[in-house]
Amino acid sequence: MIELANKRYDDEEFFREREEVLKTWHTGQEVDLSEAVEYQRSIKTEKRFCTKLGNAIKGKKTLVQPRAGVALVDMHVQLLQYLENEGEADLLPTTIDSYTRLNRYEDAEHGIRESKTHGKSMLNGFPAVNYGVKGCRMVTEGVKSPVQVRHGTPDARLLAETAYAGGFTSFEGGGISYNIPYAKNVPLTETIKKWQYVDRLTGYYEEQGISLNREPFGPLTGTLVPPCVSNAVAIIEGLLAAEQGVRDITLGYGQCGNLVQDVAAIESLRYMSEKYLKRFDYDGYILSTVLHQWMGGFPQDEAKAFGVICWGSAVAALAKATKVIVKTPHEAMGVPTKEANAAGLRATKQVITMLADQALPQDSVLLSEIDLINRETEQILERTLELGDGDIAIGTVRAFEAGVIDVPFAPSRFNAGKMMPARDHDGAVRFLNVGNLPFDDSIKAFHKKKLDERGKAEGRGVNFQMVVDDIYAISKGRLVGRPHK
Amino acid sequence: MEKKTIVIGVIGADVHAVGIQILYYAFSEAGFNVVNLGVMVSQEEYIEAAIESNAEAIVVSSLYGHGELDCQGFREKCEEAGLEGILLYVGGNIVVGKQPFEDVEKRFKAMGFDRVFGPGTAPETTIDALKEDLLGIK
Repeated sequence: MIELANKRYDDEEFFREREEVLKTWHTGQEVDLSEAVEYQRSIKTEKRFCTKLGNAIKGKKTLVQPRAGVALVDMHVQLLQYLENEGEADLLPTTIDSYTRLNRYEDAEHGIRESKTHGKSMLNGFPAVNYGVKGCRMVTEGVKSPVQVRHGTPDARLLAETAYAGGFTSFEGGGISYNIPYAKNVPLTETIKKWQYVDRLTGYYEEQGISLNREPFGPLTGTLVPPCVSNAVAIIEGLLAAEQGVRDITLGYGQCGNLVQDVAAIESLRYMSEKYLKRFDYDGYILSTVLHQWMGGFPQDEAKAFGVICWGSAVAALAKATKVIVKTPHEAMGVPTKEANAAGLRATKQVITMLADQALPQDSVLLSEIDLINRETEQILERTLELGDGDIAIGTVRAFEAGVIDVPFAPSRFNAGKMMPARDHDGAVRFLNVGNLPFDDSIKAFHKKKLDERGKAEGRGVNFQMVVDDIYAISKGRLVGRPHK
Repeated sequence: MEKKTIVIGVIGADVHAVGIQILYYAFSEAGFNVVNLGVMVSQEEYIEAAIESNAEAIVVSSLYGHGELDCQGFREKCEEAGLEGILLYVGGNIVVGKQPFEDVEKRFKAMGFDRVFGPGTAPETTIDALKEDLLGIK
């Protein structure tokens, strides 16, 4: 049984474990921590994630960032260069392939060989561990902008070691957000512990004067996730990271589709995360936010897809998110071409720039939505802390067991799956069934009322068919899944 | 009408979990006995489940692009395991990126799949195909 607590890693334990981690694939031997620290120190400040995010916070700007990754190094560098030059990307990604995410490096090797044979990428991302430190440095040195690793890896220890030594200055993921939506059979205790390692490694660099950005994955399953659920998870991962010495944290949220609810969600995320970080006496941190454009199913038609992309851009700008993660007009078909990727970025930049000086009025509708999300998030977090006798790591494991935190449509068997979301008549995501989420009666009554209103307007009962209709709605051209006529 | 059994799941290292839950719901509503293996299913797991449940079709989903690698040799493995002639469907975003569907369909049919469905296929389309192939209903 793994001992879990929200406590800074013991140095001796960390370095002992580190030796084992570096042996899990042969490229691990290339990682020399003191050399890596010096290499990171040589990276110019304008090419660092923290610098760009910090400047964006000060200038109240929203930065744009794509997703992108292919199997071969030279093709990957060309892709990133294209996205910064033709797509006007402010921040760059390196999306990792799905075999690497499961530590299946042999399969990734096979994918690299097949890609070379066919002259095209047969993997859905860049297999960074297989290429090792040298391959990663070819990527980060080949571009002008800061680069972040984006993935979905339950055990990302070797990937993080390789990435930081390879010149990446930001690393996405967390022990909850890269488990529950990305794995079927991996206990939370295990992933939280392994991500504490990643955070401690980040903290180690921080102590050497190298600030690296960490970004928990906000949208979770990306499908009708109520804001309080994803915000609670983001705040927990922020706290876990801060405990290990991480100081540059980006918390994220995936667009749900109703403008007021989405802006409220980001405002609440900012407020509640500050509140909890202060409560546990963390200081010296820099907090930024990221909005993910719609993560669910997309329309096939590229013009309609641009409509979805632009609506997400509007949310990011009006919520004053520090950055926005951009979708592409090829989303419905899978991995995009570089041209489609750049087109999504340019459309996003246009909308964001146009809305840069505008904000939603702080009226009663917005304020009551913010207040609702604050209260819901607080009730989840307080119950989680209670379950952990004050320890947020232990509490999280127990909260998932009990369904106090419950992520809709998650593949993990460690998620209760008792809660069911659906849209209300205005398209905001509400609870059709709260499951075991620890809400007070007034919150439960509010959600019931909202769903009843929709049922009445549609002349049908409130049931799972509504959820099915909602899931298909955007790809069919609307937000709320109305009944078939 | 006797209920026909089908095995469904998302192949390989793919964790796209939403669609498969919808397919389970839609296929069950349509009158099939559905064994849902969920996400990250290996070829062996589909085959074992099909043998155990005496299924007449395996419906493979893939959303993440590695479908072409994950499906290699599936038909041969079915035959080795004694599932000669079992109905094999595959659908979703089964290759990396936007490619002409006719080419993709040809490649997967050559691999031994009876039907190949492209991105954004509605559950009703697959249900109609299952009814035609398993029940002879057009």
